[in-house]
Amino acid sequence: MKESFGRAVLYRIISSLLILFFLISFLFVLLRISPGGPEQKFISPQLKPELIEKVRESFNLDKPITEQYSAFLLNSIRGNFGISYNYREPVFDVIMEYLPFTLIFALIVVIVQLLLSFWLSFISISRLNSRADRYISKFTLLLYSIPTFVAGVFLIYIFSEKLNVFPSSGLKSIQHSDMDSAARFWDYIEHLILPVITLCLGGIAVYYRYLRDNLEEIYTKPFILNLRAAGVNEKEITLRHVIPNAVNPLITVTGIDLGLLLSGALITEVIFGLPGMGRLTVTAILTRDYPLVLGCTFTAGIFIIITNLAADIVKARIDKRLIKGISG
Amino acid sequence: MQVRCLYVLTFLSSLIFFSSCQKSSTSTDYIVVGIAQDVESINPLFAFSVDEGSISELLYLGMVGHDWNDEKGEITSEPLLAKNWEWSADTSSVLINLRDDITWSDGKKLTAGDVVFSFDIFSDPVIDSRLFGSFEKFYTDSSGHIDIPKTFEVLSPYQLRIEFLPHSHPTLFNIDLPIMPEHIYGKINRKDVATSDVNKNPVANGAFVLDSWDKNQTLTLKANQHSFLYHKGIIDKVIFKIIPGYTSRLTQLKKGEIDICEFIKPEDTPELKKQGNIEIIPVKGREYEYIGWNNIDPEKFNKEEKFVPNKFFGSARVRKALSYAINKQEILEEYLHNFGQLAAGPVSPIFKDVINPDIKPYNYNPEEAKKLLAEDGWKDRDNDGVLEKNGTKFSFDLFIPGGNPLRNYSATVMKNDLKNVGIDVNIQTMELNTFLDNLFSKKFNAWIASWYIALPIDLKMMWYSKFNSTPINVQSYSNKDIDKILDEIEKSPDKENRKKLYKQFQEIMHNDEPVTFLYWVDDITAHNKRIKNIDINPLGVIHHCWNWKLEE
Repeated sequence: MKESFGRAVLYRIISSLLILFFLISFLFVLLRISPGGPEQKFISPQLKPELIEKVRESFNLDKPITEQYSAFLLNSIRGNFGISYNYREPVFDVIMEYLPFTLIFALIVVIVQLLLSFWLSFISISRLNSRADRYISKFTLLLYSIPTFVAGVFLIYIFSEKLNVFPSSGLKSIQHSDMDSAARFWDYIEHLILPVITLCLGGIAVYYRYLRDNLEEIYTKPFILNLRAAGVNEKEITLRHVIPNAVNPLITVTGIDLGLLLSGALITEVIFGLPGMGRLTVTAILTRDYPLVLGCTFTAGIFIIITNLAADIVKARIDKRLIKGISG
Repeated sequence: MQVRCLYVLTFLSSLIFFSSCQKSSTSTDYIVVGIAQDVESINPLFAFSVDEGSISELLYLGMVGHDWNDEKGEITSEPLLAKNWEWSADTSSVLINLRDDITWSDGKKLTAGDVVFSFDIFSDPVIDSRLFGSFEKFYTDSSGHIDIPKTFEVLSPYQLRIEFLPHSHPTLFNIDLPIMPEHIYGKINRKDVATSDVNKNPVANGAFVLDSWDKNQTLTLKANQHSFLYHKGIIDKVIFKIIPGYTSRLTQLKKGEIDICEFIKPEDTPELKKQGNIEIIPVKGREYEYIGWNNIDPEKFNKEEKFVPNKFFGSARVRKALSYAINKQEILEEYLHNFGQLAAGPVSPIFKDVINPDIKPYNYNPEEAKKLLAEDGWKDRDNDGVLEKNGTKFSFDLFIPGGNPLRNYSATVMKNDLKNVGIDVNIQTMELNTFLDNLFSKKFNAWIASWYIALPIDLKMMWYSKFNSTPINVQSYSNKDIDKILDEIEKSPDKENRKKLYKQFQEIMHNDEPVTFLYWVDDITAHNKRIKNIDINPLGVIHHCWNWKLEE
């Protein structure tokens, strides 16, 4: 069993790497054929035209595209994505400045989404079709339909501008370096509350819907009735039989969601001025910083693959029948 | 259930309580400048953006400093790292005496060697510095690299002479560049300068040094106690806070979390004025909006590299008619709330000594427009509301970059105004990079864009007809008289003669109307009134901020 599981994971990793290779190759071509180039920021009345050609040369953009592509592939295999045109630093170093925040932020968001959606689902399911269940359903639908930028700006207006209780942007205060460690920790929390709420709203609604419907379906299955009739207590039924059967679709959704969050949450990052991967990627695209775009895409691709694989492994741990599915 | 709700409510209210306990938004020893995006480099070699330039200027001084004289409308120069200077009679060389009390932030003395090294590194083709290619008045090799032995003579650690090409008429602006530390950058291979870690830990000579740089969050400069510009009362720290959202910047300005914010939208100024603690300063005449009319046929140019007059806009009469047909005043009043002024040409009204007061903008006059179009042969022969000439309908695409509400608004006004005189306009919105790519390849017939003017005034790069060396002349305007005047301005050492030439330039330009000059847009800056002695001028917002003071 263990051997087949290991083989399945290995097969999955190899196929994922192939997908990643095609992804960055496709992106390489797409970037090179799209109009505009990184040298455009060097065109201004204040800068001399000679500089533009020099810049193209130094970025190796004057070489044929096949030569550029083969150099890019060779460097990528060595784990070197080159130097970012904008930051004049190795792409890896630039990404490492933004990645830690993105990792922590995405994890917090997913945990909060899971906790709240579980909580709401259990309230709903314990009072199936009651007024509370209906209200929660409608409320989550409302949350889902609020666009992120509206929620973000609204929260800033209420809690930052009017009530003045939370900061409106940034990850820490100006006085952060003068604070003791407890105050620093609190400072981070304070800055993250509004962005986490903004980004969680839609996710809570989605998770809730998946979980509630599945829980309802499992609770009404004959085997649950059977367990109850056999005198198994309600807590054990929920923990050992209902949840493991109901969370499968949620794990898949969480895997995809976490992967996407790790590639950045652009709108929330822009509204709250957070240093995340989303802003980094979009700025790189808009300024045609080719190496950085490819580095960011590669990182996002890796995360999406890892989180999906992790989700599948977790599912297979819960339901052994799924091991075959991992390799598929 | 009720108990749980109570827990949640208690948690939330305590969170809000603790959060509201520690709000202190203003300080007496630092100021916070809100900027939309982080800078990429603070090394003056690579300070390409306006913010990068402003920050690196505070870290690295040049030999000569500049200020803006609003009365005369010109830049004045003052000694900074140089104590004084003396030009030779024919202005082909300058003798510079440096201050002997300047130290780098690591304690080393700044000497003439650093000055020579700075010219060397800025002009080095391996570096790709922002000044590469701009040392035309120096002795250089074929790659544009300054010939050091021929150009510099170091007479003592604090005295040097700079030789220029004969008859090149250099000015103080030619020796104005940030001085870089030779003992730091001299040790680094030139190819590695751009990516060196030294760029993140600058050894500076300016009024400020780098305190911390938290990428995409804050960049903090602190007063350099070793600088000769240091004085009691200097602002201890200047913090650049990166706030990408405009609404957030505005909120923080109102709350006092930031002290200065640039690019305020005109419609937000009444609300800010009500705050009482905020001063609004419109900086005039740095940027003008225009509608570009391609003077040549874009297809012929791109396919056959031929310069054939544009079938619509090749005639000055038509271009003038278009300028008459557009109600620029309406856009200025309705959208810009009068934060700007109508433009009559490319010479900014801030240059009071060279502006030609007789040149007035083409005011809205659809009848005159129709008359001029008819004189040029454009008539509506088939009565479909659109003019024709030689079987060609006067119908074209007007390109605007996406995400610019002012240009969206003005394009709509223009479409309606031009329809009134029988011209059909299709507005096409394009992603900025794609727009720029097409613009510089001269693929558009018509577009709306804007330019920041150069300080000191420089018109050659925009209007000279050698297109290879002037890629900014995207409208491909060509006039031999204009070329002659621009050459003469460059060569003429006589200020009065230059003034005369500038005025002639404006007359010809007005007559040709190569593009439709719309309006000079004010750069509206708002700052907290607790900052005193502040002078925001066309040279920049934080320019010379070592002179600012904070209210006790």
